[in-house]
Amino acid sequence: MGSDVDDAYLVLRAQEGYVDAYADLVDRHGQLAYRVALRLLGNHHDAEDVAQEALVTAWQQLPGFRGESSFPTWLYQIVTRRSLNRITRTRITASLDLLGDLNDVNAGPSQQAERDLTVDAVTDAVTALPPPQRVAIVLHHFEGLPLAEIARITDSSIPAVRSHLFRGRRTLTKTLAEWR
Amino acid sequence: MTESGQPIHDVSLLLSGANEHLACGADIDELLEQAADGAAGQLTSHQRDCVYCQAALREFGRVWEPVRSLAAEQVTVPAALKIAVASQIRKLVADVWYTLQLSDGGGIRVAARVVARIAREAAHDVTGVRVAFGRSTHSRMAGLVERATLRHRHPNAAVGVLGRTAVVDLAIAVQYGDQLDAVARDVQRRAVAELRSKVGLRDVTVNVHVDDVIT
Repeated sequence: MGSDVDDAYLVLRAQEGYVDAYADLVDRHGQLAYRVALRLLGNHHDAEDVAQEALVTAWQQLPGFRGESSFPTWLYQIVTRRSLNRITRTRITASLDLLGDLNDVNAGPSQQAERDLTVDAVTDAVTALPPPQRVAIVLHHFEGLPLAEIARITDSSIPAVRSHLFRGRRTLTKTLAEWR
Repeated sequence: MTESGQPIHDVSLLLSGANEHLACGADIDELLEQAADGAAGQLTSHQRDCVYCQAALREFGRVWEPVRSLAAEQVTVPAALKIAVASQIRKLVADVWYTLQLSDGGGIRVAARVVARIAREAAHDVTGVRVAFGRSTHSRMAGLVERATLRHRHPNAAVGVLGRTAVVDLAIAVQYGDQLDAVARDVQRRAVAELRSKVGLRDVTVNVHVDDVIT
């Protein structure tokens, strides 16, 4: 039923204490939180932890959310910050299961093994990037966000985001080219 | 080939050092961006006649293919995530209960959020209601009582305790064109009946707020 109304409506109702309205927002955007955390951190366990923290934090901070950006943009901001905190705290480099349960059922064992290797290589290459480059690459090339929105999410400028993207793309390309 | 005119054997070499342009003058980072964005095949008029650009775009496109493929994959959210978030939020929201029975045989209590949920579901069943959310109007008051009693280690401190009188707010969005007051009254009637029959609450007040119409 929540699909009939937009995020702004759900945010208003949640701010008024209708907890189910926030549950609908979690239904709608929980995947965003988990997906971004997964791309930034590279493993399911940390991604689940961070996505959970971010969604609960968003609930706690909802009274102060004035709707100046969209709810997803605001959530991107919270997830990204939480993920960066986790990165700097744990310096995660190992990451092996970005796809996890997305195994291709039609692939044979050797195809699946090759696919897993490729996924691991891409995941490792992304999570090895310095945090600012990693955030820019994930938000732009994985989430498809424009530079202006990334600048808003990261509280940065468009030229700074562009610069991180340029460097991130070079590093990622070199790493993957050497892997191949 | 780079701007120095030296042949390039692989991408790593092309991107290492200070190389910024191909021999034709094309910006390497712009070509990389084009390939990373999945537009390696969309050649400009210069690129259509330039072997350097075509070779670089082909190679960049090949390297970025697995990245683009991974980015396009659907990510399945663990089912436990939503449950964990809901559970955490329940802990943050004052836990308020209606007491239906207290006797030597034990007590029966129903959480206010369950009452609100039942009212919400009842509202959903009414024709013309597109969206409905429910909340207990007692939450704030009972939350304060709960915290106060907790501080004084009151025997009933575990819960914010209410009687058998429930006051529920329903926010609804109604189908455009339907008669709002008729829909609201129907919601009220149905929610009250459901709460009396399913929960056993004696006195039920349901405030209906029509806060949107949907076309």
